[in-house]
Amino acid sequence: MDSIGAACHELKKQYDDCFNLWFSEHFLRGRTNDSMCASLFKTYQDCVKKAMKEQNLDLDEVKKDLLGTSQEKKPPQKS
Amino acid sequence: MKIWTSEHTFNHPWETVATAAWRKYPNPHNPAVIGTDVVERKVVDGVLHTQRLVSSIWYFPKWAQALIGSAKVCYAAEHSEVNPSARHMILKTINLTFCRHIAVNETLKYTPHPSDPSKTLLTQEAVVTVQGVPLTNYMEDILTNKISNNAGKGRQAMEYVITKINDEVKDLSRSTDEILLNTKKSFDDLTTSAKKSMDDISQKAKKSLDDIQHIKINGNFSEC
Repeated sequence: MDSIGAACHELKKQYDDCFNLWFSEHFLRGRTNDSMCASLFKTYQDCVKKAMKEQNLDLDEVKKDLLGTSQEKKPPQKS
Repeated sequence: MKIWTSEHTFNHPWETVATAAWRKYPNPHNPAVIGTDVVERKVVDGVLHTQRLVSSIWYFPKWAQALIGSAKVCYAAEHSEVNPSARHMILKTINLTFCRHIAVNETLKYTPHPSDPSKTLLTQEAVVTVQGVPLTNYMEDILTNKISNNAGKGRQAMEYVITKINDEVKDLSRSTDEILLNTKKSFDDLTTSAKKSMDDISQKAKKSLDDIQHIKINGNFSEC
């Protein structure tokens, strides 16, 4: 899967491979320590944040809380 | 505002489906999604929280472009939670592009099937709101149909990834089998050569013993 920053593709791939392994072999088996991919994540993150800035994409918009807040649009109440 | 809901059962355990959900893209069944970027990820109290930026290509008919602009790459924010002990995965997506006129809130939940925990139930809901453009009702219908259509593609996409994962597991067990077989072969070889050496040794030992006895006998003779 591609990244929004062309320069980040390879970093994303390395991180994704690490994450997928961690998710199935560690996290789903109850080992929640996520330090395994931390350094790959950091490098990839720095790249993505730079790419988002270059493309005028607002990181805060993406991070705006969606789960469990009143900001999300609720379906209308049934009368 | 239009609300669309749907349910689907995957004949796979929740763990497989949750693993596949992270590997859903790139996918030939849904080529519109061209990128996913993690912008935040952390584990809090055993729950994995992730925020992603999802990029997709939308092809609008010409007349719609005149109304809502011709942007081709659309962005969405996706927030998710995975709780492995409760076997629960929830993903919420909201569009970031066209926010002034269109709001699409989509929620996907993957949980074990209530009547068969070896299967996984996907509950999907989308709330579509169009405002500030002509024919809002019509536009909402078009978007809702598009979501419904995409949901079918999404399920196919998931099945595609699950098959891929299962094949990888098979490959892995096949190579494990090969390793075991080779190890067994090496052991057999080792045993054969060890046995051979032991035979050699005992044969040589016997020979030496015979020689010694022979010498002894000879010696005895010479003593005479």
